[in-house]
Amino acid sequence: MTASTTTDRAVPRTPKNPKFAGNGHAGNKGGRPWLFHGLMIPLTLIWVAPMVFVVLVAFRSFDDIAGRGLSALPNTFTFDGFREAFGAGAIGQALRNSVLVTVPAVVLALTLSSMAAFALSRFAIPGRRTILLTMLAGNLLPPQILLIPVAKIMDSVGLYDTRFGLVVIQVAFGMGFYTFVLHGFMRSIPREITEAAVVDGAGALTIYLRIILPLCRPALAALAALSTTWIFNDLIWSLSVLRSQTKMPITAALLNLQGGYVSQWNVVAAGSLLAALPTAVVFFTFQKHFVSGLLVGSDK
Amino acid sequence: MTTIHNISRRKLFQGAAAIAGASLLSGCVSSGSATGGTSATASLTLQSSLSDPDPKAALEALVKSYTKTPVTLNTVAIESFRAQLPTYLNSSAPPDALTWYAGSVARDYASKGYLLDLSDLWASSGSLAKFSPALKSLSTAADGKQIFVPTSYYWWGVFYRKSMFKKWGVEVPTTWDEFLAVCKKISGQNVAPLTMGTGSTAWVASGWFDYLDLRVNGAAFHRDLLAGKKQFDSPEVKNVMAEYNKLLPYVDPKGRSYSWQDAATPLMQGKAGMYLIGAFITSVAPADVLDDIDFFRVPIIDAKLPVAEEAPTDGYFASAKTANPAATKEFLSYLASATSQQTYIQTSKSSNLPTSPDVDTTKFTPLVQKGVEMLNKTDEITQFFNRDSSDALQTTADTALTKFLDKPADVNAILGDWQKAAAKVFASA
Amino acid sequence: MSITKVAAQPNTVGGAPPKRRRITRKIPVLVWIFLAVPAAIEAAWVFWPAVNSFVLSTEKWNGAGAPLSIGFKNYSDLFSDDIFRQALRNNVIWAIGFGLFSVAGGLGLAVALNRTRRGVGLYRSAIYLPMVFSLAVTGLFWRLLYQPDGAVNTTLDGLGLGSWATQWLANPDTAIYAVLVAAVWRQVGYVMVLYLAGLKGCDPTLDDAGAVDGASPWQRFWRITMPQLRGVNMVVFAVTVIDSLRTFDIVWTMTGGGPYHSSELLSTYMFQQAFTSLNLGYASAIAVVIFVIAIGFILTYLVRTSRQED
Repeated sequence: MTASTTTDRAVPRTPKNPKFAGNGHAGNKGGRPWLFHGLMIPLTLIWVAPMVFVVLVAFRSFDDIAGRGLSALPNTFTFDGFREAFGAGAIGQALRNSVLVTVPAVVLALTLSSMAAFALSRFAIPGRRTILLTMLAGNLLPPQILLIPVAKIMDSVGLYDTRFGLVVIQVAFGMGFYTFVLHGFMRSIPREITEAAVVDGAGALTIYLRIILPLCRPALAALAALSTTWIFNDLIWSLSVLRSQTKMPITAALLNLQGGYVSQWNVVAAGSLLAALPTAVVFFTFQKHFVSGLLVGSDK
Repeated sequence: MTTIHNISRRKLFQGAAAIAGASLLSGCVSSGSATGGTSATASLTLQSSLSDPDPKAALEALVKSYTKTPVTLNTVAIESFRAQLPTYLNSSAPPDALTWYAGSVARDYASKGYLLDLSDLWASSGSLAKFSPALKSLSTAADGKQIFVPTSYYWWGVFYRKSMFKKWGVEVPTTWDEFLAVCKKISGQNVAPLTMGTGSTAWVASGWFDYLDLRVNGAAFHRDLLAGKKQFDSPEVKNVMAEYNKLLPYVDPKGRSYSWQDAATPLMQGKAGMYLIGAFITSVAPADVLDDIDFFRVPIIDAKLPVAEEAPTDGYFASAKTANPAATKEFLSYLASATSQQTYIQTSKSSNLPTSPDVDTTKFTPLVQKGVEMLNKTDEITQFFNRDSSDALQTTADTALTKFLDKPADVNAILGDWQKAAAKVFASA
Repeated sequence: MSITKVAAQPNTVGGAPPKRRRITRKIPVLVWIFLAVPAAIEAAWVFWPAVNSFVLSTEKWNGAGAPLSIGFKNYSDLFSDDIFRQALRNNVIWAIGFGLFSVAGGLGLAVALNRTRRGVGLYRSAIYLPMVFSLAVTGLFWRLLYQPDGAVNTTLDGLGLGSWATQWLANPDTAIYAVLVAAVWRQVGYVMVLYLAGLKGCDPTLDDAGAVDGASPWQRFWRITMPQLRGVNMVVFAVTVIDSLRTFDIVWTMTGGGPYHSSELLSTYMFQQAFTSLNLGYASAIAVVIFVIAIGFILTYLVRTSRQED
């Protein structure tokens, strides 16, 4: 089955009449919508409760929280938290920095790993499985222990405290996993498709650009969404390769909001919500591809 | 190098002038604000761990009004700052000046040659000449050179709300027995006598440990203990824990889930009686409670011992690799000047005390003046557990003391483990 | 960086390779470059630092001055370190709990939400939503929920289960599990999305055929659907192992490994050793252990699945 046919089905269509809703397939236990909703509604509520809590905190005033504790129900409603986050917290600039790092990092990481996956999945590279596993193994290293060597190497090549340096390490560190996933996906693309092109005299570059990449679009979209959440939410790399406050991404700025002495929880909560917005937007835009995208050669 | 490629884009950013400081070596310091007078490399970076809003704003204001050299201020939260400090100092273009505190960590870096010799600031003609000898010895490394510029310190005390003490009918205690009686009386009114946030800030538990050790065994023993010359499972420390044990019934057990800030909330609400904590507690007090807050010194247990108090000292050190030692020293002198200290203390809304003898303290709040007075009448000054020893030893204290709070009956086993863990720390240092 | 090289020579394409059945034998230069550039980047920025760390694990170093070579002493010290053993035990609990609950929960929800029904999109989004918060932020607000008077205890009280209430994060018996709940809460949506993707790729006619043959939904799921999910399982497995061994932020923000190391994981212990105690050599040795475990897991799994394929 090719990816393009699944894309169409991936969009959840909500039928107008719930009576017909149970007639789908894939593990359907039959039409008992009340049971389904009776289970799902409380579960969903439990699921969103912590987030609702953050929203409530974000709109409280500092004195309200300091005086009555965090868990109390709000008796104030104010945008102070957000104002403070944008003002003193410099969330605006930090968000900008995050975007300036995340976008190039995602694009570069996916480009490079799709190249590697293409080479490993479509050509008889000697020891290709070992190469693939070695690249994946790189992803298994606990990042904490690479921090100091990486910072040192960055420093010696003049990349320390540059956003480009952060992009480089994000690309390098995610590549193993992306290559692994894309390799699985590319392997599932039937050989006949490319063989026809080869007969027509198409070279490797043409096959990669014209055939493989377009077919991988769902997987790429899914990985783009995933890697965006990873890179955007990363804290530990940015802290170790950046030093200037003007370059720090949103996660580091949030950390600064929880200072050593004063935790302005309302500002922290407001900042967290603002920081989560871009990833939420990315996810919900890509959701359609996402659901269809990570087929990962499951139907090989 | 890539810094050059980034230059054109960097100019778009506000902090362009300052960032140039970091890229001195690439010789691209042409950016705007460096006015003609000073030398070509006149730009400094100050790496700060003061990420709390008010202190941060206060330091920003101070840096902004310094006109001799453009200075970039980078603020990084303390936890990450601590983790990154070796990297900062090791890097080829380290920040020129950094916030830190006086104590063993600074001395350790000094012995490795990472810190700028600031002795001339302390010399009789230097800007810090009038600072107290105690501060000078605190700022002196093993080789006798001064490597630190202290700019503020604060005191520890038992904080309480005056109106609540009146309501509960208790008086400020001066002896240990009176203190325990106050605890008993408060707990009789369904109020937790003591609050203590040892959840995510386990170091708070060391406050009582330090003080009880100072009150039971004295400052000399305490220093030896933290230097590895005495044992944590010694009879002296067991005596300390015996006194600590008397407090436990009065400590709000919920504090084990709280950070120190969270634990301040019950105090502010009148749901807890007292809190042994640093003067920084005033920064988490809601505006309407601030004037109601007062403190008293931890009551004396053994009157024969010289009275000791904790007064952690904060300030700055500079990197030995700074490209501009003269400008850096000048900047540090500025930060340590009486006017800067005064401005900083007032705008940061902290209850910090100035280190410069020239600061006019009469304008400070009555609470701060009381703090100054207490420390002036003190025989011995210590810093705090981690500052007098190391952060590594602090983690052993956190483990031992939080376990003790949970299982006071296991005290002997806990102290035995503590000694073992501490010995390991001293062995690896 | 060397990325530009690729663009510099885009036309190095070989002629039509001889037709082979499984895989193209002749490898154009461009393909080598395609592989070499990413591999070089990963080698330079991941493996080279890793080698540095391996070397560091045989040394004693506090971040300043010259490291002192001490052979394998760091490793032998690990064996007699109670905290390390506790962390190792916790890591096992964590890997099992985290893997089991997030995979079972994610798969269950994916199956339940894989049909077209009113509200399904809403449920899916709600369950995925935690994923957009960073782990540090997740830890932050779960810490609030677990406070003594926080939402969790209040809810238990409301349900008449007040006696269950405890100081979840301050109680050494519950701390690790309390953090686990928060981590699973965030991970379930992610696994669900992966499985939803997999289920979309399943052939519905097989399932329908099974239904006609009278197989129960349970049988159909295990006999028909699961085999088709093999590829997704692989990704889920890799992601779960990576995430569970790498777990750091959430524990660090919620308990910091406490109370008294009861929720310590290898990653948090390593961080504490490296950056609080500045025992960088010892911390590197812990990191090597983490790496070896992760590799062990993944290799075992990959070797088994690839054997099945061949």
